[in-house]
Amino acid sequence: MSTLEVKDLHVSVVDDENGKGQEILKGVNLTMSTGEIHAIMGPNGTGKSTLSQAIMGNSAYKVTQGDILFDGKSILEMPVDERARAGLFLAMQYPQEIAGVTNVEFMRAAINSRRADDDQIPIMEFMKKLDAKQEILDMTDEMSERYLNEGFSGGEKKRNEILQLLMIEPKFAILDEIDSGLDIDALKVVSRGVNSMRGDNFGSLIITHYQRLLNYIVPDQVHIMMDGRIVKSGGPDLAKKLEEEGYAGLRDDLNIDAKLTDEI
Amino acid sequence: MRPSLKENYLDQVVDFANKNEEPNWFSELRQDALNKSADLALPQYEKINYRSWRLDRPKAPFAEDENISDVTLPETDNLLVQNGGTTVVSKLSDKLADKGVIFTDIWTALKEYPDLVQKYFLNTTINVDSNKLIALNLALMNGGSFLYIPKNLKVEEAIQAIYIQNGDEKKDYNHHVLVVADEGSEVTYLENYLSNGNKETNIANIVVEVVALDNSNVHFSALDQFGSNVSTYLNRHGYVGNDARLDWAIGSMNDGHVVGDFGTELRGEGSHTEAKVVAITTSDQVQGIDTKVTNYGKHSIGHILQHGVILQSSTLTFNGVGHIVKGARGSDSQQESRVLMLSRKARGDADPILLIDENDVTAGHAASVGRVNEDQMYYLMSRGIDEKTAQRLVIRGFLSSVITEIPEKEVRDRMTAMIERKLVNGQQK
Repeated sequence: MSTLEVKDLHVSVVDDENGKGQEILKGVNLTMSTGEIHAIMGPNGTGKSTLSQAIMGNSAYKVTQGDILFDGKSILEMPVDERARAGLFLAMQYPQEIAGVTNVEFMRAAINSRRADDDQIPIMEFMKKLDAKQEILDMTDEMSERYLNEGFSGGEKKRNEILQLLMIEPKFAILDEIDSGLDIDALKVVSRGVNSMRGDNFGSLIITHYQRLLNYIVPDQVHIMMDGRIVKSGGPDLAKKLEEEGYAGLRDDLNIDAKLTDEI
Repeated sequence: MRPSLKENYLDQVVDFANKNEEPNWFSELRQDALNKSADLALPQYEKINYRSWRLDRPKAPFAEDENISDVTLPETDNLLVQNGGTTVVSKLSDKLADKGVIFTDIWTALKEYPDLVQKYFLNTTINVDSNKLIALNLALMNGGSFLYIPKNLKVEEAIQAIYIQNGDEKKDYNHHVLVVADEGSEVTYLENYLSNGNKETNIANIVVEVVALDNSNVHFSALDQFGSNVSTYLNRHGYVGNDARLDWAIGSMNDGHVVGDFGTELRGEGSHTEAKVVAITTSDQVQGIDTKVTNYGKHSIGHILQHGVILQSSTLTFNGVGHIVKGARGSDSQQESRVLMLSRKARGDADPILLIDENDVTAGHAASVGRVNEDQMYYLMSRGIDEKTAQRLVIRGFLSSVITEIPEKEVRDRMTAMIERKLVNGQQK
């Protein structure tokens, strides 16, 4: 079993305009183990994506206090690629497009980066695995032969993120708004992909605005985030309650002094 | 005082022409070129200084070609391979030959199709008076080829040429290629220059002419890979007729110094070119590339795209010259030149030059010298790919404008492998 612990995490980003650091995360605590699926919900601008970027190691996000521990060891000093090879994965909200590099080649490079130089994945084994994973996601060879995300629709990009997840098989996957821009059919397909990973050796942190995704990927725990902190945790019912009451209702219940971006 | 080029080389030029049974007009053209070369000036390009390479000082233009070790050849029906000036492979499918396609070394063409060669050789864009290096190319020409596509023939298969410079031999490489696409024809031509061995220091002087007559469509791809001991003048020029199109996809992957002069003259109404060049420079090499498109024809379209990467202490200069002459109404001139710097010791330049002498036109330019896209790096590294590998993949994406243009998978793979090799070398300190 592996664990991922976020302890009293404070994270700042530098404002492009005035060059000053702005604190986004103000003391996040979260512990998860493989075998568990956690969901983080919260209003816009509350720090959900910042948390995912900080865990992955995006250098634009500065950890000013607290720690992130993977199997008990701090990963703050590890660069992005090392964190990935250690077992972390982030399905991004806005995947990059890179022409000239095919999807297949990219995924092979990713898998081989985890293997020794003299033990690279044989091409047949790779293709077989790719076929099986594509099938789960209703994807075709044609998509994998294309250049990385180039010219992909929003939905295709999300699907491609999940394909990478299934191919790489990390210990922990953070899914950052994987449901945004997906219609109901695509949502089902993506959920099927994530659910196929469920098991003792896989844990996931699902970031979403809406409860809808959690009908398809049922979480073990739900956390509500507001103003840079986790303000409430509970079972799947918490998400349903939130859907009924809205964030403002929950905020008032909890007596939190947080301004919601979308609130007029 | 040094003896003049003429005193030094006139006898050799005449002997060489005789030995190859060149027609009189051609031998005379060579002698004329040799004469003129003495007075003609070296071509000048903004921010490209190549005088010290001494490209105008021939050393051994007519040395014999020695045997070289084998080069892996692509499996294709339409292939010309030259080792120096010696033709090693000359294949053309019966189907194409029967339809009138000509693809031979330059001397066979001069013997068998003298009128066709004479009509177009240095006669559509550049000529013997253009500059000293072009005159020397002709006077001392010791290798070359001729490709002709007859009227209205659409050739589906790519025509390939591999031109080998023997780097272990002391010999100037003076090469001339003439491609003529007759009216309404279509062709894809791929050429690959490479050095085999790298023991001797040599100069190369290459002139490639592409003539795209009315309504023709020419797709020209090049992969240039001269070795580090070769200093090269590489002139590629194209003529584009009415409603004709000439697209260039050039990969300048040389290890030695290069001055590239890539020019397209949009002579015809509605003529069109897309000139795409990518380059990687490493070590202490200098590559200066001057890509120019001149719109003469009404409603002509000329687009330039240049992407380059500089590593270590190398220098890369991209000039993009868009010239619209008076009367070319309704024409369009656009260009983009971008250079990625991967080293603080490297020098890079991207210079847009627009010369517009007509009012009723559209024109634009973009140029930048910058660093590797951090968002792309982050994305690749977040999948476990190490920094150097990620950097190579991002760069390949940056150079993909040309890679993706290459129609043959085999050549595309060769190009990708070449980029990979050059970047791996360049990433070493």
